[in-house]
Amino acid sequence: MNKPESTAPRPTNQGAGADQGMYAKHQKVYPREVHGVFAFWRSTGVFVLLGLYYGLPWLRWDGRQAVLLDLPERKFHIFALTFWPQDFFYLALILIVAALTLFFFTALAGRLWCGYACPQTVWTEVFLRIERLVEGDRARQMTLADAPWGARKVLIKAAKQTLWLVFAAYTGLTFVGYFTPILEVARGLLDFSLGPWETFWIAFYSLATYGNAGFLREQVCIYMCPYARFQSAMFDKNTLIISYDRARGEPRGSRRRGDDYRAKGLGHCIDCTLCVQVCPTGIDIRHGLQYQCIGCAACVDVCDQVMEKMQYPKGLIRYTTENALLGKAVRILRPRVLFYGALLLAMVAGLGYALATRLPLELDVIRDRNALFRETDGGLIENVYTLKILNMDDVPHSYRLTVQGIANLQLHMHRDRIDVPAGEVMELPVRLQVDPGDLSARSSKIAFTLRDRDDPALTVTEDARFLGPAPGTR
Amino acid sequence: MRIPVIQKIIAILWPSFLMAGVATALFFTAFDPALILAHTAFADIPRLGAYTVGFFLFWLLTASTCLLTCYFQRPCDRAPDAS
Repeated sequence: MNKPESTAPRPTNQGAGADQGMYAKHQKVYPREVHGVFAFWRSTGVFVLLGLYYGLPWLRWDGRQAVLLDLPERKFHIFALTFWPQDFFYLALILIVAALTLFFFTALAGRLWCGYACPQTVWTEVFLRIERLVEGDRARQMTLADAPWGARKVLIKAAKQTLWLVFAAYTGLTFVGYFTPILEVARGLLDFSLGPWETFWIAFYSLATYGNAGFLREQVCIYMCPYARFQSAMFDKNTLIISYDRARGEPRGSRRRGDDYRAKGLGHCIDCTLCVQVCPTGIDIRHGLQYQCIGCAACVDVCDQVMEKMQYPKGLIRYTTENALLGKAVRILRPRVLFYGALLLAMVAGLGYALATRLPLELDVIRDRNALFRETDGGLIENVYTLKILNMDDVPHSYRLTVQGIANLQLHMHRDRIDVPAGEVMELPVRLQVDPGDLSARSSKIAFTLRDRDDPALTVTEDARFLGPAPGTR
Repeated sequence: MRIPVIQKIIAILWPSFLMAGVATALFFTAFDPALILAHTAFADIPRLGAYTVGFFLFWLLTASTCLLTCYFQRPCDRAPDAS
């Protein structure tokens, strides 16, 4: 496998008057617009993913926002499910599943994520489209960059920046809409009553989108993305990568259509450099696999068009594997893929099981810290506890409390029924009394059991200690 | 080999940003800021404000660590011909 070439020449498609920002050496990449099969899939990815991102917060479920990670209330609502901070375990499981999914697809098909689904790619694509809409195609953009500053240039640049900022601001609003009900956010923005923290995060996320998709672009992939650095660990000779068929293409060289290139001693590459012009990270795929390549397949699309025009077979640049290029057999089902696949299945099954058997009820027992125990007037030993009952369900529940562990243990509380409204926490002080003759140790293990009155499956048990005098001291 | 300025800035601000995010999530999952601040002078800060301040404090901490790492990884012996 080709090692990523870190010393590969930097973009050959730089505009002459490239941006001179805070990062002096960097020169702006002007990707040429491309059409084709993979461009279609990338556009589809953009529409579906951004549609989900901008649409989801507006979806309603049961009278509330369907997906609301309600940070102020410390509850995550995801359709029918409501998660509490106590459910952190599920979040950890979901993150592991997400990471394994990424590994699995990377081993199978390379950087699918980067080329089609990464937010960086998706938002950059939108910003590029806005840029094209306002400034025109690649050649016009480069001419404009070279042009001296005049009224026309200022107007065009200002229009682009305004559109970018508006789009970024809406992105920021949507982001905050996942954490604070989006209707409140939108209403608050309209009548200037939005809280300072929400306003801050809208501004923060807007600027991050604007900076990442408008300016940093491919530098995010090159310098900031950890995945780009360690992906080669998941690659092998059977991983689908975008590759230039050197054996077919070289020696490259220009020719007229219909020329007998074989007589000239040339391969299929006409050296039109279109593959370099369309590349969003500004690399030359003909130098082999490079870590900057995000696998977007823009070069595949554009090269296929050229091959078609030249009446050569398509696929001089194509999705292929190193083994296929070397003429060896390609194995899709190999230990690495099977291992990631099996692990992923196991984790998904585990997550599904954990979610299906999740009880929307939790019981915490806190011992009274002021006294270890107390002797009542009747000669009984008393311990005091505070029970915290969390009804994590979306409907109210009525529970029955019992306690076991010591013979003849008496449970006293101030109420007859334990009714907890939906999504509420109840603090319930209880007293336990027992005859000292029934105590066999200074500290005895007891267990509180809380059971729903209508649904016996909804039962939780929590252990606690009952303290008393040493046996035989009385 | 020269490291671009942007890479140096990113090496300090970006990993620290990610870890500050993780730390904020873990910390505030375990501790409810409303309970922590209840009997202090900051009792009227809403949860979202506490998360925000907490996040930036974590970021300050992690960014300082990254800065020190970058500072200490510079070679100790400067070669005479180093520019």
